[in-house]
Amino acid sequence: MSGVAELLRHPALWRGGGASAPETVPTGFRTLDACLPGGGWPLSTLIEVLVPAAGVGEIRLLLPALRTLATADGGAPRWIAWLAPPHLPYAPALVDAGLDPAHMLVIRPRAGLDRLWAMEQALRSGACAAVLGWTGTANDRVLRRLKLAAEEGRTPGFLLRPSVHRTDCSPAALRLALATRDYGLDVEILKCQGGGPARIERLPIH
Amino acid sequence: MLEGRPATITPAPASRQRALASVPAPRAKPIAGRGQLWLAAHFTRLPLDALLPGTGQARAAVVTAPDDPRRAVVARNERAARQGIAPGMSLNAALALVPGLRVEERRPAAEAALLDRLGRWALQFTPVVSLEPPAAVLAEVRGSLDLFGGAMALVRRALAGLSASGLSASLALAPTARGALWLARADLAMTVTRIDAMPGIAGRLPLTCLQWPEDTVATLAGLGIASVADLLRLPRAGFAARFGPRLLDELDEGLGRRPAARRRHVVPERFDERLDLEDAVEATGRLQPPLERLLARLGGFLRARASGIGVLRVDLVHRSGAPTRLRLALARTACDVAHLRELLRERLGRCQLALPVVAIRVRSGVLLPLALRDAGLFERGRSANPDATARLLDLLRARLGHEAVFSVLPVPEHRPERAWRIVEPGSTASLPVPWHAARPARPLWMLAEPQPLENWEGALVTGPERIETGWWDGHDVRRDYYVALSRAGVRLWIFRERPPGQGWFLHGVFG
Repeated sequence: MSGVAELLRHPALWRGGGASAPETVPTGFRTLDACLPGGGWPLSTLIEVLVPAAGVGEIRLLLPALRTLATADGGAPRWIAWLAPPHLPYAPALVDAGLDPAHMLVIRPRAGLDRLWAMEQALRSGACAAVLGWTGTANDRVLRRLKLAAEEGRTPGFLLRPSVHRTDCSPAALRLALATRDYGLDVEILKCQGGGPARIERLPIH
Repeated sequence: MLEGRPATITPAPASRQRALASVPAPRAKPIAGRGQLWLAAHFTRLPLDALLPGTGQARAAVVTAPDDPRRAVVARNERAARQGIAPGMSLNAALALVPGLRVEERRPAAEAALLDRLGRWALQFTPVVSLEPPAAVLAEVRGSLDLFGGAMALVRRALAGLSASGLSASLALAPTARGALWLARADLAMTVTRIDAMPGIAGRLPLTCLQWPEDTVATLAGLGIASVADLLRLPRAGFAARFGPRLLDELDEGLGRRPAARRRHVVPERFDERLDLEDAVEATGRLQPPLERLLARLGGFLRARASGIGVLRVDLVHRSGAPTRLRLALARTACDVAHLRELLRERLGRCQLALPVVAIRVRSGVLLPLALRDAGLFERGRSANPDATARLLDLLRARLGHEAVFSVLPVPEHRPERAWRIVEPGSTASLPVPWHAARPARPLWMLAEPQPLENWEGALVTGPERIETGWWDGHDVRRDYYVALSRAGVRLWIFRERPPGQGWFLHGVFG
């Protein structure tokens, strides 16, 4: 028995359930927190959010966590990178949402390959509190690079992609699919390291 | 422009000297300026020369004061002077004289830059050069006289150099810096070599060459004082009490009765090295090794001076034609060669070489002091690290271009499309006061242009919010905004023009 316990302590061994809870930041939604291991968005990894159409509420879903991350550590505001967003973030709305717009780093590369490169750099640098990326198509190998960069830079990377990628293979630690219903948002957890699939209906986002 | 040979002036007539003797001086004998000889160059048309280099003669041109309702003429060129335009004239008067006049607004920054260049130029005569803003350069040339073959030869050489660059200056030599400056301002082409001749010569100068404050000169004129000699007859104690000790000190400095300390003009140190390649290189990848050699030297250079740089220029020199120039502007003062190497690799990767490269030249901008940072004893890995942010910014810009990375700031403005602007990331410009506390919500995504919505069928959630403003600048908007829910469940910000009838437009998405 002692031999098994020793083996289980080996750092290269990853255990699906019951592993030590990852470092997290609360999502700001209690029902969602309850479904996630550690009670929030995992930090230092890649999170994939699949949306049926840009603007269904994906930013409002992330806003409470972004606010917490940007002002974490009490003192100076930290950066949040917006990589190739579909439209320009609107400064007055950012202020309304409680974010300091001067610390939102908007990055608009022209070429698709540059997007992935820029996202990897932003994640690896450790300079940002969070990185939001609209990278479009990306294969498994590229996503794995992004995940490694997020782990190395200890930065959460939110990858926002269209729902058509739902069946793709992805190394992201957490995969969510969003759908709108009435005035709320249905959140389906497709994959969650250290937890299982779950479905939260009508999350009240405002 | 100064013409003819500078004349040597003998001491003033005996009558003047008696008058001067009655002025009580702090010391009987001159103490300053012994053994010194200052060359003063006063650039009469500096405001013009700074804006219209070399071409000033082709057409009548003037420079006007920027924040003056009359737009008084500050400087004019030769042609404008011949047609009767004088400094101080209002622009309307000048235009009445010369209808086709070229008018430029004065730019003090350009003048300062030109004066700085002139200071560097003067360093060819002596290492002791001092600037006298706004329009004069002083150089102590006693030690250089033998090298240049005497004072006359030196002045001739200086004048030739200046006129070759199309600059107009009046030069004078005197044993004190301020004395030389007075003579140059008075446009007296003089060489005064003996300090005891200074009071006599200065006495003949008009008060304007002292460039004292206007109200002081007006008060003195009211007292019937028109020349420096008149000034010197005033009792010292009374003069100091009335006009302050600083002006008295200036007089004493000019006459050599008081030592004057001047700030040396020092050319800032820069790194500038060139490496010739053994073979011409056509692929940017092969430029990396020689570039790293230059960067290693730059690293040593910066370490030795405990400095960093904000700008780095790399010229890829071709056998003929202009070099390919790369310029890195760093977000933060850097001295780390590894960081520069990484930035240059990205920049070179973007660069298209039209011709083979035969040499590389690396130049730094002005050296900047490094800001030292304390490493906190209990610092956690997650805290905001300004270096990491600056590095990321540099790296992204090196590959994506400068404009691809930015931040946005709100602007207090009712028209939604004008209520924001692009700023440098992390700019500390203060956020506007929340003047719109009661304003309805705004969408997180804003479309670049409102898009017409064909056959709009969604549901309106809240509204209308009426925005009707901007009639004064021709971009007036008259709109009713609504928050709406599209059939796909996306919350939209849409508007209808007033008066209604033109249909719906999509302006933002709540995200």
